[in-house]
Amino acid sequence: MALLSKTERRHFPDWDDAAQCLYQRVTIDLEVCDGCKLCTVVCPANVLELFGDKGKKKVRVKENHRGCISCNNCRAICDTGAIAATRPYDFVGFYRQLGRGDFSMPRKF
Amino acid sequence: MSDASVMALPVEDPEEIEAETGRRFEVNEVAEGADWNPVEQVVLRRRSIRKYKRKQVAPHLIRRILEAGRYAPSQGNCQPWKFVVVRDADMIQGMEDFCVESCRKLSRGLDYANYEKGSLKYVLTRAKAKLFNRLQPNMLHPVPVSAITGIAQGRFAVFHRAPTVVLLLMDKRGIGTPEIDIGICGTNIVLAAHSLGLGTCWIGFSKFLNQSHEWCARLGVEAPYEISEAITVGYPIGDPTRPIPRETHEIAWFEGGEKRVLY
Repeated sequence: MALLSKTERRHFPDWDDAAQCLYQRVTIDLEVCDGCKLCTVVCPANVLELFGDKGKKKVRVKENHRGCISCNNCRAICDTGAIAATRPYDFVGFYRQLGRGDFSMPRKF
Repeated sequence: MSDASVMALPVEDPEEIEAETGRRFEVNEVAEGADWNPVEQVVLRRRSIRKYKRKQVAPHLIRRILEAGRYAPSQGNCQPWKFVVVRDADMIQGMEDFCVESCRKLSRGLDYANYEKGSLKYVLTRAKAKLFNRLQPNMLHPVPVSAITGIAQGRFAVFHRAPTVVLLLMDKRGIGTPEIDIGICGTNIVLAAHSLGLGTCWIGFSKFLNQSHEWCARLGVEAPYEISEAITVGYPIGDPTRPIPRETHEIAWFEGGEKRVLY
């Protein structure tokens, strides 16, 4: 069995179809987020924004963005640990990710 | 070469030879589960930095990270690289403007997501894009295409307003696959930079500059050299060095006559 089927090899995903191009999903724990704003500053794709009342601001992912590049800098910079990447990016057809296991922190063997 | 000369290859015990020298060469045993050493820390904490402080990096630090690049391994030790360092903000802005314009043209010509679904422009652009996608499956992966459109729309930058840009020029006559040697050279550079508290990012779109006679002349890029990659260098905003989880990848492990699959 080939890793990619014949149909998959011929199918180049539509760039404008969110169901075919699954970009990384970032989730934010609003209980933990202290609205420090650093992640919105470092996000190169500008997909994060602050919302809420002054003094109680939290961060969220903008609606209908087409831009998260899975750089994970928002997570790496978050002091409170409020940000988590909950879905790796993947694509249907020709670019389907192969041979990937679960996410893991650096492991000491 | 005759068979005899092949047979004449010495079959000696290297450990015995080592012992005969009378010197002691200890093996560095690392215990299971030992703490990360400083080099591993650098590898695990380096990130691609795309937001920089305005502060310029001192020239000696740039020279220092290029030394790490100079000592990279390469095929046949051919060292197929040459560096161009750009530290003038207006020059970097000019390079940015040129690459942005290239992205605008590419995005207009190929990214059908720019047009109303079902319109003639959409249908024609999509047909063209699908063909090009088949011919150039790496360049037209959805991720760079989305970045190209992001740059065209001003949502994303090319050189990220870094104070220093290092262009990695590749000697196209390099032995074997010089592209790989450039990758290794640049990896030395970004790791050394991280260890010095600097942030870096690989800029593949810098290759657009090869298409401009004007920029090639100004930067001194001429055959047999071409711009292969660029690395932006600056001080990162915040401290984005916390290790984060990453995907694991399949490892086929052959030992004791068996194959195991690990992650």
